Amino acid sequence: MPIFDQGYQHWSGELTGHGLRWLAITRHGVRIGMKNRLLRIALLIAWLPAAVLTFSLCVWGLLEQKSDLVQPLVPFLTGMLGPDVVNNPKAYRVEVWTLCYDYFLLTELRFSMIVVLLVGPGLISRDLRFNALPLYFSRPLRRIDYFVGKLGVVVVFLGSVLVVPSVIAYVLGLLFSLDWTIIRDTFPLLLACVGYGAVMSVSAGLLILALSSLSRNSRYVGLFWLAVWFVSSIVGTVLTGVNEEHRMRQTYRRAVEAERAAQAERPPKSPEDRQRQAASRQEAQRRMWADLQREQREAARSDWRPLFSYTANLSRVGRHWLGADASWEKLAETVPADERDRYLLENMGAQYPWYWSAAVLAVLFGLSICILNFRVRSLDRLK
Amino acid sequence: MKPVVEFHEVSKWYGNVIGINKLSVRVPAGVTGLLGPNGAGKSTLLQLATGQLYPSQGRVRVLGRDVWNNPSLNRHIGLCPEQDAFYEWMTGRDFVYVCARLSGLARPAARAAAARALDAVGMTAHQDRVVRGYSKGMRQRTKLAQALVHDPDVLFLDEPFTGTDPVARRELMDIIRRLGAEGKSVLVSSHVLHEVQALTPNIILLNRGRLVAEGHVRQIRDLIDKHPHHIVLVCDEYRRLAARVLAWEDVEGVRVLARDKGLVVETHAPDAFYGRLPELALEDGLAIKEVYSDDDNLDAVFKYLVNR
Amino acid sequence: MLFHLEDVTKTYGPVTALDNLSVSVPTGAVGLLGPNGSGKTTLIRTLLGLIPVDKGSGAVLGLDIHTRQLDIRRLVGFAPEDECLFPGVAGVEFAAYAGELVGMRTKDAMQRAHEVLDYVGLGEARYRRVETYSTGMKQRLKLASAVVHDPKLLILDEPTNGMDPAGREEVLELARDLAHNKGMSLIFSSHLLPDVEAVCDHVVVLGAGRLLAEGMIRDLKQLHDGCFEVRLKANPAAFARRLASLGCTADVRDDLLLVRVPVGQSQQMLWQAAAAQREQIRFLRPQRSTLEEIFLKAVERP
Repeated sequence: MPIFDQGYQHWSGELTGHGLRWLAITRHGVRIGMKNRLLRIALLIAWLPAAVLTFSLCVWGLLEQKSDLVQPLVPFLTGMLGPDVVNNPKAYRVEVWTLCYDYFLLTELRFSMIVVLLVGPGLISRDLRFNALPLYFSRPLRRIDYFVGKLGVVVVFLGSVLVVPSVIAYVLGLLFSLDWTIIRDTFPLLLACVGYGAVMSVSAGLLILALSSLSRNSRYVGLFWLAVWFVSSIVGTVLTGVNEEHRMRQTYRRAVEAERAAQAERPPKSPEDRQRQAASRQEAQRRMWADLQREQREAARSDWRPLFSYTANLSRVGRHWLGADASWEKLAETVPADERDRYLLENMGAQYPWYWSAAVLAVLFGLSICILNFRVRSLDRLK
Repeated sequence: MKPVVEFHEVSKWYGNVIGINKLSVRVPAGVTGLLGPNGAGKSTLLQLATGQLYPSQGRVRVLGRDVWNNPSLNRHIGLCPEQDAFYEWMTGRDFVYVCARLSGLARPAARAAAARALDAVGMTAHQDRVVRGYSKGMRQRTKLAQALVHDPDVLFLDEPFTGTDPVARRELMDIIRRLGAEGKSVLVSSHVLHEVQALTPNIILLNRGRLVAEGHVRQIRDLIDKHPHHIVLVCDEYRRLAARVLAWEDVEGVRVLARDKGLVVETHAPDAFYGRLPELALEDGLAIKEVYSDDDNLDAVFKYLVNR
Repeated sequence: MLFHLEDVTKTYGPVTALDNLSVSVPTGAVGLLGPNGSGKTTLIRTLLGLIPVDKGSGAVLGLDIHTRQLDIRRLVGFAPEDECLFPGVAGVEFAAYAGELVGMRTKDAMQRAHEVLDYVGLGEARYRRVETYSTGMKQRLKLASAVVHDPKLLILDEPTNGMDPAGREEVLELARDLAHNKGMSLIFSSHLLPDVEAVCDHVVVLGAGRLLAEGMIRDLKQLHDGCFEVRLKANPAAFARRLASLGCTADVRDDLLLVRVPVGQSQQMLWQAAAAQREQIRFLRPQRSTLEEIFLKAVERP
């Protein structure tokens, strides 16, 4: 037949199974997300900490090789870490890598929140606003496919910000140190990093999806997200700070009272007496200061106040998996004993057990799933 | 007939975009249909006529008075807009009552008028329900009620039947026809041609912001020379009928509908053609069972005039 | 058999949407009619397997509605009534995405999207973003998205809503073509009876969750023997009087004349009267109930 029918043609191709149905939704979501210029800029900026991380790891690797390239940096590193560490880089390799990754993940946590703010709010709220749910559910698509697909969009973007740079930095750091034993020492670090990235993506992803399903207007959802991030952060910090202030003041007051009582017992009679008393007062102050540091450290172990902050919870879990606390303690050994507590208090973060944070995250996880289940009810209603 | 709504060389443009282009039209009393494809300027015309827009050129008058910035004239104008914008928390009765009060009726008069209007549109049973719970048909009826509540002389209805089911539609059409018969002027803008056809034979047709045709449908059809009329004849002996009909001078073509045993005859002079039909039908064996023209209606007029 | 339902009941709290509904419909083009609140939307959602029913059973295209819901949706295309196009994508991307959601491979979906967009008549416009489309184009895109996976059943919910006459013609033409020439079954739900009449052969009328009437349009429109609808050039009153004097019953309704000729006579009586009175008969057809009459009669039945 020389002339072909231009009308409607039938189609009898194959349909893929259910397993990969969510991939279509993820791909579509990523494509739409990439059209947003702000997001592209944010992703680009989010790679800067990765560059810094890679640089640090490479520097450490060169330091281990006693390369001349890093000699200009040695004084700077000595000032920061102390001479013991700089002169013995191989021994402290694991610790330094751990802490580099720790700082990197902490910074990337902030960037992730911004990326989620740019990508997340429209995911479900747009479908609600433009009434696209009948379009999805009149096709052979289960609700779980829909949710996993949408979650996949957030996971892809956060993964590209957290996991991909970590892996690349690891590989580059490896190449720059030319020492295969590094893998044996630091491989758990890489696993922890990837695991943390996964937990972060899923937790933040589900949370933003749940928030997104609550409103048709993605601007409100963006505001909710900012509230979750900032307001919870502020609440946690304020509570912790107030608590610490309170403790410090109590300790001071006790010390001052003790000193006054001691002075009242033996009033000064001569200039030597006065000098002796001044010296003993100074001694008492130093002791009190050390006591305070120790007390703060003890109290921090069971301080629940930071649990209010969402980002603090995430970073607590991450730090535990990375083993950052152990690294700090090892580094603290290079610091004179009396300054050790203050050093640790300054550098280590909150000390409460990590499983408290994990529990908070699990509760949020469950809450998000409940909200999603309730809001996207697959059209079983009257209107 | 004194025109109720008068447009005199009215143009309206939005920036560069033309809405209405030198439109001069007079809408008489009775029901008139306002037709046109999308973007023809129907909404602009209605907004100009109700004083919501100021014409870039020309003059708009309703009931003899200038309509721009003339709030007292609104007492005599009723508008049922296309958009769905209610105070969703009010009940139907409250909403129509508020509209009545806004039109200047005193409290007891407004209450009575609201009840009457809701009864006329058939919403008395649902008047105490909140508007948020109304279906689309109920909303349309409430909109019509608020347009009628102050008993205006001129009514503008923009797509009044969307979303209504055939039962409600029939009732609303009866109301509109009755209003037209009472001497009020009703301008109904709609896309659904067979609804307008059922309401009135008088139409105003717009296209691209310009007036294309105005008046009685049949007159307009008769004036459209370019398209010959298509008249269908059904007869058992259709081929013989075809031969007889072809002999007439004003017949331009005959198409055979073998399956229906009929013919489609094209003619430029339908009047003359119909005049000769009864004698032809009585001739030997040529019993014409059916005569009809798909052409003599609004759909055909619209198609011919708009899709040039 | 397109679909059949037996004793299906669905309630939402105090409101009963479907009340022991039993209906059986053959393949082909079916019109779904009913006043507002009659359960049409609920019926469509039940057929799509989107909502669970309280009671009853049924099957769509031979697949059970309780157990084979996903398979049903693979064979069914649905174009919903409301606006459902989300902005930010081009028309062809939208149609391809719709195909991918059913399970088509990306390449297949893109090829097929272009094919169906050709069919519905969206030419170069398919590369533009969806939010720039006119109402007619949006409806056509919706239709294209619904048939991209070549369903056996197409459900259209008020497809001509808000379209101008030209656009309406096109959509009805597409629906007719798909239903009659391309072997696709169609469920056409609409309030506009002439549209339903133009496209469908079979009709189902619902009211208050129950089945009020069902059958082929051709069969439901009974022919009234000896009754004719007549339109004249001039005022029909005079003609009606003449016919009455000849023994017919003539009813004047606006400009339409409903005539019943005496038994044994035919329309030739009318031609004779017209010739005698020099009248022009411009419309002469045997009286048939219109779909609107069928509908109103079915709905008014208690």
